Amino acid sequence: MDSKLKSRSRAALALSIASAALLTGCGSGSSAPAAKDDGQPIEVWARAGTDAATSYSALFKEFTAKTGVQVNFQGVPDLDQQLQTRAASKKLPDIVINDSAALGNYTSQGYLQKIDKSSVAGNDAIPDSLWKETQGLDGSTYGVPFSRQTMVTLIRKDWREKLGLPVPKTQEDLAKLAAAFATQDPDGNGQADTYGMTVPGSTERGYFGWWASSYLWQDGGAYLKDDGNGKYSASASGAQAGVTWIKQQFCTPGNTQPGALTAATSAATPFFQTGKTGIILTGPYNFSSFDASLGKDKYEVIETPKGSKDNTVLAEGENIYVTATNGKKDQTKQVIDFLVSPDGQKAGMTAGKQPIVRVPVNSGVDAAAVYNDPRWTVVQDALKNSSKSFPSAINFVPIKQAAAEALNKIASDCAADNIASGLKDLDTAINNELTSQNAKS
Amino acid sequence: MTTAPTKPARSLTRAPDSGQAPARRKLRNSKQLLAIWLFLVPAAVLGLYFKFIPMVEGIRLSFFKVQPFLGDVFVGLDNYVSVLTDSRFMEALGHTVVLGVTQTLGALVVGFALALLLEGQARSLWILRTTIFLPVVTALAVVGEIWRILYFPTADGPLNSILGWLGLGPMQFLNGTDTALWSIAVVGIWSGAPYNMVIILAGLTGVDRSLYESAGVDGASIWQRLRYITLPALRPSLIIVLTLAAIRSLRSFTEVYVLTGGGPAGSTEVWMTRMYSLGFQRNDIGVASAAAVLLLVVTLLLTVGTQLLGKRKAAR
Repeated sequence: MDSKLKSRSRAALALSIASAALLTGCGSGSSAPAAKDDGQPIEVWARAGTDAATSYSALFKEFTAKTGVQVNFQGVPDLDQQLQTRAASKKLPDIVINDSAALGNYTSQGYLQKIDKSSVAGNDAIPDSLWKETQGLDGSTYGVPFSRQTMVTLIRKDWREKLGLPVPKTQEDLAKLAAAFATQDPDGNGQADTYGMTVPGSTERGYFGWWASSYLWQDGGAYLKDDGNGKYSASASGAQAGVTWIKQQFCTPGNTQPGALTAATSAATPFFQTGKTGIILTGPYNFSSFDASLGKDKYEVIETPKGSKDNTVLAEGENIYVTATNGKKDQTKQVIDFLVSPDGQKAGMTAGKQPIVRVPVNSGVDAAAVYNDPRWTVVQDALKNSSKSFPSAINFVPIKQAAAEALNKIASDCAADNIASGLKDLDTAINNELTSQNAKS
Repeated sequence: MTTAPTKPARSLTRAPDSGQAPARRKLRNSKQLLAIWLFLVPAAVLGLYFKFIPMVEGIRLSFFKVQPFLGDVFVGLDNYVSVLTDSRFMEALGHTVVLGVTQTLGALVVGFALALLLEGQARSLWILRTTIFLPVVTALAVVGEIWRILYFPTADGPLNSILGWLGLGPMQFLNGTDTALWSIAVVGIWSGAPYNMVIILAGLTGVDRSLYESAGVDGASIWQRLRYITLPALRPSLIIVLTLAAIRSLRSFTEVYVLTGGGPAGSTEVWMTRMYSLGFQRNDIGVASAAAVLLLVVTLLLTVGTQLLGKRKAAR
């Protein structure tokens, strides 16, 4: 190639790069953008699969019919990833409905607007304990409670009755029942192919830490301690009793399903669904799929068995978040007021195939009555009397992850006496994380 | 080597208008150039958008605390320091190297053996080769799920029941801390070996048959023929296979993610799964990008290294 040709090709290359860069329009400002009203219908995102998304759509259809306010709703299964993309373009959806646990992460990223609690119509119908869960580290309110639920213990009723065993009242009973399911052939097919509990023991997305938290609380332990004023400290070392019980389940062959230590919920739940295990601690959102696959009469929802302290179970839920780029004040208020009103909450429980409001946050609505299903009474009672949630002001995801990793390590080595040392390591990991989040006392 | 046969048009046109019109030639040249570039633009833009811009962006992000909404904060080499001082990353590195070496060598040996067994023109061989190649074209996520079933850790699991016939006790496979990594390596070898087989098969067709015959006349054993004829002739293919396999093993993610998710007790966590959980589960994009850049550098060094090694050996 002669030099002219060379320089020309260079010029062409530069030109094509320049034009491409122009198309990208890469601009990256350094401060958070201001709220603006673009005159479009209010954009609402929720973390929802296909079924839940249909329910949301039906709910907002009702809202539009009532108020005349148009809503642009999107059900997004991988909400957090998609939010990051929108955050990069500095234009978040106006309202986001997602886990109450997302609050810490969202506030630290600057995604959210403060909410004036008193401006929400019917705010006094929502219990104070729920409002408290929407506070950030600075004590301001950053979300509106929308739906709550607790974990519930489900048992294969037909198996239990066939073996002539009582409904378990304590953790000991539960372990015995699990062992009986594993050894006494409750499905009567003559083969040792049934197991006790379904456990998502994988570290993936912190599943193990999530599942184990209820049992830890029941024996008086906890991953961390709330020291007030938005400060926390690790306390896993005090959870030896609960962890010992959990380890026993993993180290008694058959008490948990095979492969539990590497199973996320997607791999674990089918064991209960297909009649391979007889006990599962899960959310009430699984009722409908279990009714379809097992049959409503085959399993029972029991009051959670007691540990050495009480029968606390994990409570979770969804909040309504108003994003920092939302400039549609009136429409936002209308959407929020509707979603937490008795009508809105009822619609969330009945519209579409899957309830998006599990247990209503509005104390004027009775879940068991709306669903006409006594199983929801168990959930509602547990929520009211014996439930606890992860702190939402901090980003709890890394702590759940650290807990899952520590517990996975402890449970995978049955021969070793590793509970005390493993939990001490977990304390260190949690404290480091708290320090990096500026929330260590 | 002569260029004449490949460029007949040029040498034909050059003779008549040599003195007359350099301007016209220039015009034609630039037209030709324009056409070349026009044809190149779609691919170039696609490459730019989906390969080079993301790559440069990844390198940029590795120096920042990434907060897409509030604006990124420059942190210098902090992200690299936290990757290199993180004990979990170092453990993951160890697992990655073990997995990489096992998978690479395993897939090479098995691929070589398969190629030797299945070399030939017969139709039956052709069908067999296609069958054996199937794992390569199957989605790795599907392969993972199938192996998860095969590895079911009770006595009635498919692999364990075969072991049971041989009188061996049920193995934990993916569920045991000391067997999980090897179980994943086996899946990697199973799905990687057929690819190597194809490349080595191509190399085998280039071996001069008469060399075998003369070696046979000289009384060389099968092993000697393999050692002194086949292997040297296959050097270029083997280098390609090694390079590709090494890169692939360093990046192994899907099989680990699907089979164990890094567990039990972190015993199968590799560089990529650690990177993924930091980037997408903890939203720590900066540190994850730093880890990705380090992986890129290592891959680059490895590739260049193998190439140089191959060249030097070939020159000797």
